[in-house]
Amino acid sequence: MIDSVTIATPRAYPPRVTAFTERFWSALAQGRLETTRCTACGEATFPPKPICPHCWHGEVSWIELGAEGRLYSWTRIHAGPAVFSAELPYAVGVVDLDEGIRLAVRLHDDPGTDWQCDAPVRLVRLDYADGPLLAAVPRG
Amino acid sequence: MTRRAAIIATAAIPVGRHQTGPDDAYQAVEHEIMAQVVVDAVGGTGIERSDVGAVIMAQPRPYTRQQYFSTFMTAYLGLQCRGTVMETLGNGLTAALAFDKAIDEVLLGRARVALALGINMETAVSSRDHMMESMRKTGDVDFHVPAGFTPISWYAMDMMRYMHEHGATRAQVAAVAVKNRAHAALNPLAQYRKPITLDEVLAQRPIVEPLGLFEVPPRGDGAACVVVADEDYARALGVPYMAVRSRSFFHEGIHQIGDRPRDMIGFHAAQRASAAAYDAAGVSAADMDLAELYAPCTIVEVLASEAVGLVSRGQGAAAAAAGETSLGGRIPIATAGGLTSRGHPSYATPLYNVVELFAQLTGQAGDRQVADAELAIMSNELGNYNAAMVHILEASR
Repeated sequence: MIDSVTIATPRAYPPRVTAFTERFWSALAQGRLETTRCTACGEATFPPKPICPHCWHGEVSWIELGAEGRLYSWTRIHAGPAVFSAELPYAVGVVDLDEGIRLAVRLHDDPGTDWQCDAPVRLVRLDYADGPLLAAVPRG
Repeated sequence: MTRRAAIIATAAIPVGRHQTGPDDAYQAVEHEIMAQVVVDAVGGTGIERSDVGAVIMAQPRPYTRQQYFSTFMTAYLGLQCRGTVMETLGNGLTAALAFDKAIDEVLLGRARVALALGINMETAVSSRDHMMESMRKTGDVDFHVPAGFTPISWYAMDMMRYMHEHGATRAQVAAVAVKNRAHAALNPLAQYRKPITLDEVLAQRPIVEPLGLFEVPPRGDGAACVVVADEDYARALGVPYMAVRSRSFFHEGIHQIGDRPRDMIGFHAAQRASAAAYDAAGVSAADMDLAELYAPCTIVEVLASEAVGLVSRGQGAAAAAAGETSLGGRIPIATAGGLTSRGHPSYATPLYNVVELFAQLTGQAGDRQVADAELAIMSNELGNYNAAMVHILEASR
């Protein structure tokens, strides 16, 4: 299960939901981080995809991922696109989950959080007014 | 002997603010600017207009009013082409693709002379509005952009990781900005020419931590023309020229990040493409006299210089700080001033890099001339160097 943080505003640039990725977003809404794994070669991928990028097999199954990982790298953005202006400055990072999956997410930033490369982090769900996004917070 | 392509002429306008706002009485119009640059490049060289058989243009920004500008420019110049008239697109590679395709037109015998053109007008559009478009070109629109990633945020993460892994300091990497400004001071085409100190670089406001204003690219407008011909044509003209010794491309099959943890700062595509280009040319990195590396931020020049083998892994920042990559140093990089000071009219930037190497390899670089420059490497990229295109260029005087 992944924890949630309530954000009063809507998402600045909401992702599109497809008939295929709806499963990912509804699982996330229920606190589960899911992605796809190939039924032929067994490789997992992120974001979830209806085909396997590792062998092009066309059948995948859904698996649940743990929320813990490490911060590969990060930055804090002070100049951003118009839709993100109200949130500046904000931090983003690349997270490597313990299961060996890499993703790029917002870092939920108490002002001045001292993010460090390789520091342990945990994924959380940011519950915006219009829907969820993944983010990472410091762990331990 | 295999047919070789040669660059026989170039021209460009100084990088800066050229785009006009909607309320300006007189407008800067792309047709007039581009046509003048072409005439400046070709004029006085003896190139026959009727020999121009291909026009390959970097696709202009969406803010350029004339769309499908390549065909309108071909008409404006009264060119009849049996080769190709087209536009290229590929993020930072955009103008490199125009250069590369112009070379192909010559090598395939479709044109005796091919023009590679680029015009980039964007400074009348605010950065916050510009980024609404550019963020969609540099991040996955459903799984990266919603988190707020900006184009240069990926490079900033390279910087954090580089400092973490190699113990480099921000000041060492920032030395690239000081060095490139000193080079730009000697380049009439450069956007920012007033020398700066390391303290000034470090004191700028943060843009994407740890990078400040002088460590990231300024916005700029520009227009450039590169004239490519068969080497025999160049010899017959009797002008100094720059030959294309080899070319290579590699896309590593990921964009920004893949789905697996892996090294992000080795710039593997640049490693692969440069190794193949050196091999095809029968040379090594140690043979290079200078380099133009597409590097929007200071850290990108450091990482690219390591990836193409000009300095050893993890030593790029220290080498820059020690002056090894300065004019007069062991391997001068970005003698035009780099993207941070020469300027970065992005959809024309790779052509500006060709313009600089042409000046250097034909001995016309004035106060910033690299003595006896014979061989140069040029690299261009898209993503976070997820794809790299490398050319090895040679002086023929």
